[in-house]
Amino acid sequence: MTTTMDGVLSARGVCKSYGALEVLKDLDLDILPGKIYGLIGRNGAGKTTLLGVLTAQNTLDSGSVTLDGEPVWENQRALDKLCFSRELQASLFTGQNTLKVRHYLRSAAAFWPGWDQAYADRLLREFRLDPKKKICQLSKGQMSMVTILLALASRAPITILDEPAAGLDVVMRERFYQLLLEDYAETGRTFLVSTHIIEEAASVFEDVIILDEGKILESCPTEELIAQFHYISGHEDEVDRVCRGLQVLSTHQMGRHKTCAVRGEMVKLRDAEAADVDIAPMNLQKVFVALCGHGDEQP
Amino acid sequence: MRGSLSDQSLIYLQIASMLEDDILRGVYREEEQVPSTNELARAYNINPATAAKGINLLVADGVLYKRRGIGMFVAPGAGEKVMEKRRAAFYESYIRPLVRESRSLGLGGQALLDLVSRAVKEGENDL
Repeated sequence: MTTTMDGVLSARGVCKSYGALEVLKDLDLDILPGKIYGLIGRNGAGKTTLLGVLTAQNTLDSGSVTLDGEPVWENQRALDKLCFSRELQASLFTGQNTLKVRHYLRSAAAFWPGWDQAYADRLLREFRLDPKKKICQLSKGQMSMVTILLALASRAPITILDEPAAGLDVVMRERFYQLLLEDYAETGRTFLVSTHIIEEAASVFEDVIILDEGKILESCPTEELIAQFHYISGHEDEVDRVCRGLQVLSTHQMGRHKTCAVRGEMVKLRDAEAADVDIAPMNLQKVFVALCGHGDEQP
Repeated sequence: MRGSLSDQSLIYLQIASMLEDDILRGVYREEEQVPSTNELARAYNINPATAAKGINLLVADGVLYKRRGIGMFVAPGAGEKVMEKRRAAFYESYIRPLVRESRSLGLGGQALLDLVSRAVKEGENDL
């Protein structure tokens, strides 16, 4: 049973609603130790709720979340091993978020037993963050840097980042993934990272989890998933012939020219190679659009 | 090594093929160490597991071998092995598409052979 394996974070039958809005629908997920997972999903798919539920920051209506087979809810042993670095907010219910960066980090240091202060100091310098500044005075990018710093320096065996790349410029985003890979090479701990900027992160994710309308659509090695998807294009008659028996996810027609996004093993595609059609691979972003576009995408 | 990866084929295959290219070019000679999975991961911002998959492919083909506790090394005769492998794939990946394209252009078999001989001659003159 995977649920009793060491270091596995498991969700079973998780349901979560906000009022009448069902956000997570009978969801199962296993996060295995020592991997970098990417979590992708459209706006409102339930990503942040899922991450909150996995780390006992949100309640759930039914189902269970366990680490090493023990429920995570109000379980200090489990919570010591989990870090969900949430997006910072410039304003809170009470008004502006006037907490200073160094106080925010001091509470993090008190919370995680593995907190690495030297690492935190190094990242503060690298990100040129002023610890005396109030959170409400930071730019969006600087807020992202604080959440990244907290996640990395927590040294928690399972570290979760929600949209860490949002608000960062392209140089900082590349640097972030470098830092993530450096830390991973050193510690081999588990990372779970959600992002909307899919393509530049795809090569960093060993496994990808696609969340769609509150359900896990896919959870598998990134390259295995990508390898199943292709575009087939050419004369409509030829394309239709080749696509017979393949799962067609979307089609686009221009006169007699037709392009189909298909899912199928390469074996079946052997026929396509012999026909007069073009076969092109997809990247993760295209796979995501094909699976989760629900017809909203511009053809 | 090439500067960056494309999304035209799987990343581990690209890593394997880049290492092969560099072995053919003499960037890595026999019995020399190749970059580690972590070095490759850092250089290309890819997951170390993906880099390892590329390297393991070359180990399975006998192009690289592992020295325990040290790293991955270019096997003796690796260059010849890479060439053999690529010769075996040459028909499927170059010749058949070439014939297919020539047919769709209405070039007959003889016309294609003439073009090939011309290219071969021109290649000889370039040397």
